[in-house]
Amino acid sequence: MNNTVHKPFFAWKHLNKLRWLSLATVFAMLILIPFLHVYQTFIAAHTYDLLSYSEKQIYDTMSAITSPFVSDPEEQLDALKGNTWSGTVGSLKLSDPLAVIGQIVGSRAFYWPFILTALIPVLFTVLLGRFFCGWICPATFLYELNSNLAILLRKSGLRIGNKRFDRRLKYLVLAIGLVVAVATGSVVFAAIYPPAVIGREIYYAIALGGFGSGVVYFLLTLLFDLLVSRRGFCRYLCPGGALYSLLGRFRLLRIKRIVEGCNDCAKCTAVCEFGLDPLHDQFGQECNNCTACISVCPTDAMTFYINPQDIARQGPGHLGRKYKQQKHEQGPDTSVDLTDGK
Amino acid sequence: MPMRRRSALKWLVYSTGVLASAAIPFAISHLLAPAERIIRKRHLRPPGALKDDAEFIAACIGCGLCGEVCPPRCIKFHQRDGGAQVNTPFINPEQKACTLCGKCTEICPTNALLPIERHEVDMGVAQIDRSACYPWVDRGICGACVSICPLGEQAINFKQWNQYQPVVQEGCVGCGLCVEVCPHPSLPIRIVERSEGTVVGHTI
Repeated sequence: MNNTVHKPFFAWKHLNKLRWLSLATVFAMLILIPFLHVYQTFIAAHTYDLLSYSEKQIYDTMSAITSPFVSDPEEQLDALKGNTWSGTVGSLKLSDPLAVIGQIVGSRAFYWPFILTALIPVLFTVLLGRFFCGWICPATFLYELNSNLAILLRKSGLRIGNKRFDRRLKYLVLAIGLVVAVATGSVVFAAIYPPAVIGREIYYAIALGGFGSGVVYFLLTLLFDLLVSRRGFCRYLCPGGALYSLLGRFRLLRIKRIVEGCNDCAKCTAVCEFGLDPLHDQFGQECNNCTACISVCPTDAMTFYINPQDIARQGPGHLGRKYKQQKHEQGPDTSVDLTDGK
Repeated sequence: MPMRRRSALKWLVYSTGVLASAAIPFAISHLLAPAERIIRKRHLRPPGALKDDAEFIAACIGCGLCGEVCPPRCIKFHQRDGGAQVNTPFINPEQKACTLCGKCTEICPTNALLPIERHEVDMGVAQIDRSACYPWVDRGICGACVSICPLGEQAINFKQWNQYQPVVQEGCVGCGLCVEVCPHPSLPIRIVERSEGTVVGHTI
C-alpha cells in the first residue's frame, strides 16, 4: 500500500504560519494606523516644540517609519485609514458585508456607494468561504492566543469547561440582530461584532485617550471562550461568522482528507478551532480554511482542492481500512490480546 | 395527553432558552451603553451630517473613520452615554471645535456624512449671551470669536467698527471655533439650533 501523498508544493505545511503572519500584520496595522493619525494631527498643528516628551517620541517614531514612503505625510497618509469594519486603501473603500447589511436594514435605504464597498469582500467570501475569520479578523488573533492560554491553564490543572452548543445559534444571533436593527434604527452589529469593536477600541485608546465600553464587552467574550467554551463566540454567537458561512456555503476552495494517507490519528479534529470534524470529512460551510489541520497532519493527508461541494464521507483511513480488510479475510483477529490479559 | 403537553412545554422552554442565549450579546452591549436620560449639553454632529439625527444614527456604522482623519482631533464618539447612538461621532466645541476642512465628509463610507460646501454646512448657529460677554457687559476689548471665525464677516461681525461687541450674522454655520476660543469661563457664546436665534432671549 502506498502511504505517501503527493504534496502540492513544499510550503503546504507552513501555510498556518503564513496565516499567523497575516493575522499579526492586520493587528499591527490596527495599532499603527491610529498612531499615524496622531502623527498627522501633530503635523497639522505645527507644534513639534510644544509636544511633551512622549508625544515627541510618537512623532519621531512615526516620522522614521513613514519617511521612506511619503513626502507629505499630512496629506498622503490619508491613503491608509480605518479598520476591518470599514477602511480606505488608496482610493479603494472596503467595508464588512455585515456593516452593509446592518446599515441597509437599520436605515431602510440603499446607498449604493456604500453597498459597493462590500463587493470585493463578498466576492472573496463566495470563492474562499470564511477566510476572513481565519486570516484577517483581528479578534481571531486574540481569540486563538486565548485558546492557547486555555490549553496552558488546562495543563496546569485548572478545570476549564469546554461546552458545545448548537452551531446554528449564530444564525439566530444574526436574525435577532437584524430585527433589533430594524426596531432601534441603528447598526447594532457595530456594538457586538468583535473585529469592529477591537478596531474601534484600539483607535479610541490611542487617539482619543481611553478605551470605550466595547473593551468590556470584548473581555467578556474572551472570558466566555476561556472558561466556558473554546472559541465559543466565533463558533456559536458571531453574527459576522454566520453571514460569512452563508455567503461561503458554495465556496470553491475547500480542504479535504486524502483517505489513502490518513492514519486516523484525529489530530485534525483536536486542533480544529471551529470544532469541526475533518477526520470524518465534516467541514461544511463553517470551515474557514485556516489550514491548522493541514499543518498538524503527521502524514500530510490534508490538502486544498477546488470544488463547490464537500466530498461525502470517505470512511476510515488506510490503517483502519487495512484492519477491516484483515478482519474480513481472516475473521476475528486473535493474535492480539485486546483484553490485556484480564 | 399529559405527556404531549409536557413535551410541548419542554419544547417551549428550550426554544425560549435558545432565543434568550442568542440575544445575550445584544443584551450585554445594551447594558454597557444605556441610553442617556438627560442631555445637558448639545453635542454637534460633524459637518455634512444628515439633518435628522435618527436617520444619522441609522446610517452611521460606527467605523470611526471620520475621527481618524480629523486634523484637529475634534470628533469624539458616544460611549456609555450613547444608547442607540453608541459609537456615533460628535463634536464638543467647548473642548475642540471643527475647522470645516471637510475631510470627514470625504472619507465617510456611508451617507451619514455627505460632502458639502463649507458655506452650506448646518451644524447650528452661534448664540451670544449679551449679559456675560465682556464687550457687551462693560465695553471690554476681546474680539476672539470674530478673529477666529473661518467664514469671516458673513458669519460674525462687530456691532460697530470701533466697539468689540460681536453679532452673529446669517452666514454662521455653527462650527464652534468661537466657542473654543471664547476666554470667558461661562462661555457666553455657544452653538444652538438655528430656530433658537443668535441672541439669548433673557435680559438682565
